[in-house]
Amino acid sequence: MKDMIRWFLLSILSFMLIGGKWAFASDVGAMLKAMTDPAGAPFYPVTMQVLQVLTWMLHMIFVYTSIGGLFFTIYGFTKKEERWQRLAKATLELSKVSVSLAIVVGVAPLLFYQVIYDPLWYTSANLSAWWYILFIVFLLIGYYLIWGAYFTKNKPSMSMLMSALGVLFLLLVGFIIHVVNYQSLYPEKWVEWYTNGGRTMNISGWNIYAFNVFRYLSFLVFPSVAVTGVFLMLYNWYFRSREDMDKDYLDWAGKVGVRAAMYAGIGWLVSHILYIFTIPADWGAKGSIFTWLSVLGLILCAGVVFSSQKNPAKMAIPSLLAGSVALLLIAIFREYLRVASTARFGYSIYDYKLNLEFLSPMLFLGTLLTGLVLYAYAWWMAYQAGKTPKGKVYEASETERHLGDLSVYIVILWAIVFIGVGLIVVVRNYV
Amino acid sequence: MDVLGFYPMWYVPVVGSAIILGIIASIHVLASHTSVGASILLAYLATKAYRENQPQIYDYIKKYLLTLLVFSYVSGSISGPGIWFSATVSNPRGISALIHNFVWVWAAEWIWFVAEVTLVYILYYTLGRIDQRSWLKLAWIFAIVSWATMYIIVGILSFMLSPGHEKWFATGSILDAFYNKNYFPHLLSRTAYMFAIAGIVGLGIASLMKKDLPEKIYKDIVKTLSYWGIGGIVFGLMFFAWYMSTLPERSHIMIEGVVPLYLKVSIMLTILIVLAYFFLTAIRPQAASLWISIPIFILIYFTGVFPEEKIRETIRKPYIAGEFVWVNQIISRDVPAKGIKSEVPVIDEKGLLTVNPFVPEGLKKIDSQNEIMAGKAIAILQCSGCHSVTGSTGLRPFGQKFEGMADPNVVYGFLAGYLRDNPPPYMPKFVGTDEELRALSAYIAHMISNGGSISAKIEVPTTSAEAKKEAQP
Repeated sequence: MKDMIRWFLLSILSFMLIGGKWAFASDVGAMLKAMTDPAGAPFYPVTMQVLQVLTWMLHMIFVYTSIGGLFFTIYGFTKKEERWQRLAKATLELSKVSVSLAIVVGVAPLLFYQVIYDPLWYTSANLSAWWYILFIVFLLIGYYLIWGAYFTKNKPSMSMLMSALGVLFLLLVGFIIHVVNYQSLYPEKWVEWYTNGGRTMNISGWNIYAFNVFRYLSFLVFPSVAVTGVFLMLYNWYFRSREDMDKDYLDWAGKVGVRAAMYAGIGWLVSHILYIFTIPADWGAKGSIFTWLSVLGLILCAGVVFSSQKNPAKMAIPSLLAGSVALLLIAIFREYLRVASTARFGYSIYDYKLNLEFLSPMLFLGTLLTGLVLYAYAWWMAYQAGKTPKGKVYEASETERHLGDLSVYIVILWAIVFIGVGLIVVVRNYV
Repeated sequence: MDVLGFYPMWYVPVVGSAIILGIIASIHVLASHTSVGASILLAYLATKAYRENQPQIYDYIKKYLLTLLVFSYVSGSISGPGIWFSATVSNPRGISALIHNFVWVWAAEWIWFVAEVTLVYILYYTLGRIDQRSWLKLAWIFAIVSWATMYIIVGILSFMLSPGHEKWFATGSILDAFYNKNYFPHLLSRTAYMFAIAGIVGLGIASLMKKDLPEKIYKDIVKTLSYWGIGGIVFGLMFFAWYMSTLPERSHIMIEGVVPLYLKVSIMLTILIVLAYFFLTAIRPQAASLWISIPIFILIYFTGVFPEEKIRETIRKPYIAGEFVWVNQIISRDVPAKGIKSEVPVIDEKGLLTVNPFVPEGLKKIDSQNEIMAGKAIAILQCSGCHSVTGSTGLRPFGQKFEGMADPNVVYGFLAGYLRDNPPPYMPKFVGTDEELRALSAYIAHMISNGGSISAKIEVPTTSAEAKKEAQP
């Protein structure tokens, strides 16, 4: 009899616990669903998801070279040797251009992400609203400091100071975006955070609710040095063929790069694994193939970099490829975490309301194709200019001239179609 | 759980979150108009340099490109996402409505952003390092793609004001939304003004090179900038008049009755000052000076662009996007083509506090203990998009609007008559239950009797039964 009562009570308790969890999950799930935009997604969510992953990966390459470049600059300026001073200036240049590219490329992943994960992003940003605004302010200050460092590059101590302040601001910017991303992964805590457990409404926007040091280190700090190390290998490879460049210096820079890539790569791998261990068990992430593929990618990359020690210039392209594969696997893992977190509450981007339309995706596709022609032409000409010794002018070949003409015509055509369609629509609707 | 998709609310006392957005947006408008205008001006000057074989013009172009890199491609390219970021926290549902309608259009604009940013660097670094013809092609590509970014964003901005046509609500077509009634006048007016803005910057740069450039080339450059600037202002005014004729009825009411006179006057004065400067430099090119250009450029920000952005934001009211999302983020009408339903009936029936998931349980059910705090929460959720709801200074402050109304019944009578039953064309009607309107009235009366200013902090009374329940571990 006692046993029966015990089992009965135990089953009631289990029911309460499981039922409570279900009820809670359905509350959070209902909230997430309510937050999705009623306009729906204008195209298949999987497309946004894929584009988001790919463009995030591209964005991060430039984020890494922005921050990593400054680390090398600061270190280089502390050294008296002429080659270190020279390298410091080169990585400062890399950082300066990279910040621009990181900003502009970074628009795309956030854009696609906001279509399918709007509940996550808008909530998390609003939980820490002032910090989200400060992201822009700090980025502006950081970038002007980098320009300041660039303009004072012939005064190493001043330039180093500005670079140090610049990198601090960029790391702060990274911290803010890390917080917003990280908070967004815990929808079950949002209401509790915002209301202090039901006692208030934190409308000030000054609160920060969650931070994970391993995620921050593995997604931002270590890869910055590692990826910039690979860029130094590419620097060695690219300028080696130019007759007016000092080959000893280039080979030395390549070796500095490969060593930095290897040591920082180990830090990257360790912090990545430590981050994986902090992911809550109920996400089921630790046993996922995406998690372990991201680890495998880093190991593969470390292997390629390790085997590049003797000849960094020769192994620059394989290292770039291995690094890109690793970064892609990390981008997929990062997206998988969102899927795993939100799946706990029945949220799936694949169930996002669809208001399918084809005209604006066609505009994007057409613009992308037009853009690729222009990019190919512009980057190719920049590549050739960089290969040309100082004081000489690169003369375009006939093929390059044709590509140039095509680029001009195609972008004019794009503009004519864009404005032409507009005129037709306006005349049809209003005249 | 019966909730609508509201997000946590961010409230900035006194100035309001929209002002933060306005400051950032104005920086972006100034930087981006400078850069787009300059891209075309520089391509034109490069063509002149190539055709007339005047290589010294390239020195000027290089200096201008560096200015663009340091100013427009830092401030402009950061404040662009800055608008988006600040809109995300000041009006998440408004920006979401735009993104979910125009994501691919924005993605297309992004292709041009990337082209623009890479090209400005490539142009700067390859000037004199690749043959002139190839460089010229890159310069024209840069000019067209820069202008193309304006083609795109203007459609979205115009839609924010109004889809222009009832048709869009039925078709949901991206074409009807984008190429709306004021698309072309808006695009042309911005296009014209951008030459004036770029001209002001260009005159400052030219003045720095007075001694480095041959006199004839210096004069040529300054005169070109001045003529383009004068043309920009004249055409800008013409297109602006056309733009005005395409505004919806409510916007005209706002311009005539709500937009303060000093904003309109400051814009007109700025235009006159800029025009006078261009006339002066067109007649006497030596008069171009960095120390005139910089103050005028700053003046354009404070007395030209910022008031313009402020007016644009004001005449959009009561909406934030497409005449279906109010400025307080409530969806106010059906959009059948998109399956969007107005939230007004649900909120009127259940209450704003009830349907917002980020309102503490202890405020959802109004009683005598929590009435003031519930009222404050309603004020912040429903009114703070346009009003400072906790003070007497700043953005259309409650302390001034309700001055002398310390009796809750008087406030209630006023709000019920003015905002719930017969709202003005530029304000959203009050939505929520009668009980909530009474709580809002009680809060306002309480605030006024406290001198018109009160802390923004919301505290759920501990005596509230619901709060106790929530506070339990």
